[in-house]
Amino acid sequence: MSRLSMGALLRRSLIHRRARSFSALIALTVSAAVVTALLTLYADLDSKLHHEFRTFGANIVVTASDSSKGLPSDAIGTVRTAAGADANAAEFGYAVATTDRGTPVVVAGTDFSAVRTLNSWWKVDAWPSTADPSAALLGQRAAQFVADEHNLQLTFGDRPITLHGTGRLHTGGDEDSRIYVPMQVFTTWTWAKPSVIEVQVPGGEARVESAISRLRQAMPEAKVQPVRQLVEGESRIVDKTHALMYGAVLLIALTVAVSVLATLSASVLERRRDFALMKALGGSHSTLMAMFLLEALILAVGGVVAGFVIGSAAAWTISQLDFHTATLPRLGVMPLVLLLNLLIAAFAALLPVRVLRRLEPAALLKGE
Amino acid sequence: MFFRLLMESFRRQRRRKALAGLAILLGTTAVTAMLALATTIGDRIQQELTSYGANIVVYPAADQLEVKVGGVDIKPVPGGAYLHESDLAKLRGIFWANNITGVSPELPIHILGKTAIGADVDASATGLWFDHALSSGGAPLKTGAVGLHPWWKLAGAWPQEQHTTAQNAEAVIGATLAERLKVKAGDEIQVAGQPGNASQALTLHLTGVVSTGDAIENQILLPLNAAQTIAGTPNAVRRVEVSARTKPEDAFGRKDPDTLSAKQREIWYCRPYANSIAYQIREALPGSRAEQIRRVEQSEGTVLKRISGLMWLISAAALLAAAFAVSAAMATAILERQTEIGLMRSLGASKTTVAMLFYAEAGLLAIFAGGLGYLAGSGLAAWLGARIFATDGGVRLGSLLIPVLFPVVVTLALVVAIAGSTPAIRRALTTDPSAILRGSV
Repeated sequence: MSRLSMGALLRRSLIHRRARSFSALIALTVSAAVVTALLTLYADLDSKLHHEFRTFGANIVVTASDSSKGLPSDAIGTVRTAAGADANAAEFGYAVATTDRGTPVVVAGTDFSAVRTLNSWWKVDAWPSTADPSAALLGQRAAQFVADEHNLQLTFGDRPITLHGTGRLHTGGDEDSRIYVPMQVFTTWTWAKPSVIEVQVPGGEARVESAISRLRQAMPEAKVQPVRQLVEGESRIVDKTHALMYGAVLLIALTVAVSVLATLSASVLERRRDFALMKALGGSHSTLMAMFLLEALILAVGGVVAGFVIGSAAAWTISQLDFHTATLPRLGVMPLVLLLNLLIAAFAALLPVRVLRRLEPAALLKGE
Repeated sequence: MFFRLLMESFRRQRRRKALAGLAILLGTTAVTAMLALATTIGDRIQQELTSYGANIVVYPAADQLEVKVGGVDIKPVPGGAYLHESDLAKLRGIFWANNITGVSPELPIHILGKTAIGADVDASATGLWFDHALSSGGAPLKTGAVGLHPWWKLAGAWPQEQHTTAQNAEAVIGATLAERLKVKAGDEIQVAGQPGNASQALTLHLTGVVSTGDAIENQILLPLNAAQTIAGTPNAVRRVEVSARTKPEDAFGRKDPDTLSAKQREIWYCRPYANSIAYQIREALPGSRAEQIRRVEQSEGTVLKRISGLMWLISAAALLAAAFAVSAAMATAILERQTEIGLMRSLGASKTTVAMLFYAEAGLLAIFAGGLGYLAGSGLAAWLGARIFATDGGVRLGSLLIPVLFPVVVTLALVVAIAGSTPAIRRALTTDPSAILRGSV
């Protein structure tokens, strides 16, 4: 049998038996699409999950070892460079002042815009505008010890200051008992420098550890510590979700693979009669098997092309729906998808080989 | 006759039935497992998230302003308002009592005393429950600070509140403080009573050194009853941390219950939002204020929503893929049997009879394989769940099988099998039997 007639046979077989070729193609497309979608999502999963954990806020705290002297003046810049471009950082300075009712209260100086991105869980009625130098944010408990929130009179030592509160802050934590003022106001009023920098580094334990060692190197005079409960918890949850996804990927891929196997090998078995006829006409066993195999592989490649497009679209949709960020198609998963699909197809074509080999062409053609 | 045909078909064509059945079996296994995981993932992740600590804090409504920086009380205020320790059992009686998984009361005190080698001790200390049985008549909830702070690392043993007597108590010491005082587990600290009030002298036996990564490392942790004895304030608690399973907050959950109509308020009250649980705690403990700890609660909500959302979407994708794959397998299984259909038709079987026969076959297969798949999937989900989220305690049968899923999964299998067979059956029935038998199709 020459190569030309083999090609013709293949073409005839695929076109003539359109319905079956089509259902085999659908099965292979589904398998490729599922694998593409899951692999694409899986590749992106960790960074997406870690991104969600940003809402927990700072996972590293840099404090001055001597709180009375505070951190060096350019500390926040040093921290931002050392922690990396995707880290969030905000500086805080603390002092104890007295309210107009004579109650001691913790006053914290900070940069409102940095805090707003870092601590997204803060519930604030109205954030003070950065242009307003005398704006203050009152913790909900602190506000109860202040006579006039809009004309807020505080005294530090013997130095009084008048600010106006723009809104209340609700957190359920220590912040509720503090009054936050702009850093500029804080330093000129109390002569104190920022003493704490909270840093949020996205990523798991390893990334946080490396950021900590970079920070320690950049600022040998400060204390750099992880927020232990966050770092450990995050890594554990991300790892578990990761493992769960891995299990799901394997399970679904297996299901689809077996269904496709069933479909394809049934369609090969169904053609025992053709097989017998060709054998009777002088085709060798290996030539005929090669033909079946080639046919299955062509369908597999077709399935990968269609499946990659559909699967990438599915991954994009899922990620858009759940994480509200797009997952772009990854060409990198293509080889693995192709390999899997080819394996399934080859296996499906070769699975019935034992049955076919046993066949007596004459008996089959007689209709027994 | 119909039943004989049906039985014979299953008896004789075992291989074909096995392939289609296997496809359905695996499909339902995967779908059951995914759905079972998706329905329980919320609880599991929430359990993991408890490692972030409490999500509700309770303090006396008439409290003074704390002057705290970095967890250190700069100006400790003497006196002040307290909650009653004995009231805490009421937490077991609120509407969402079963959602409360941890309760940890705190009483900060100041300790003045001497170590065995004579060094002066002047340190803050906190009275806590370590492993306390909280009960209001029913089964007790074993809870305390240790469960709520899984990141605390201990060398030694936690103190036991039963060992507290009028003269002796156990305690653990923070790592930094231990280093400064040069004490270790097994040592004793002699605490002096503060003259002028009901406070008492006590000997603290250190049972361990604790490392927490925060300001607690500079403190002594001791059982609540010992702290109350030292401070001379029986039954007093300054602050209570509560860990509760909650429903992530939505727009309705953020509403102020006092502005809602009676009926809406009822609905709000009966949903496990952090706010409504805090509201119920406020009602149960007189003179208290309860609030959600937003850093934990709000962020947990987001993470929880994302992970369970992901699981549901993947389950949907799995369902779709399994449906496609199974219906393709079903269609092939019928296309294969065109000759049989041609023969039956030419022997005088009506189209309805033939269709009924094939549908009955598909249906039986779907119910049988679907049922098996349900069992296999439930087992798989339980196994995967146990492997990934190491749950303590054995796997209970009740948590293993989710009965609601059974009808859902079997119905899905039936629908998919029948829908998958329909085009193939219709095609076989519309083709002329003689053409099929001649083999020209």
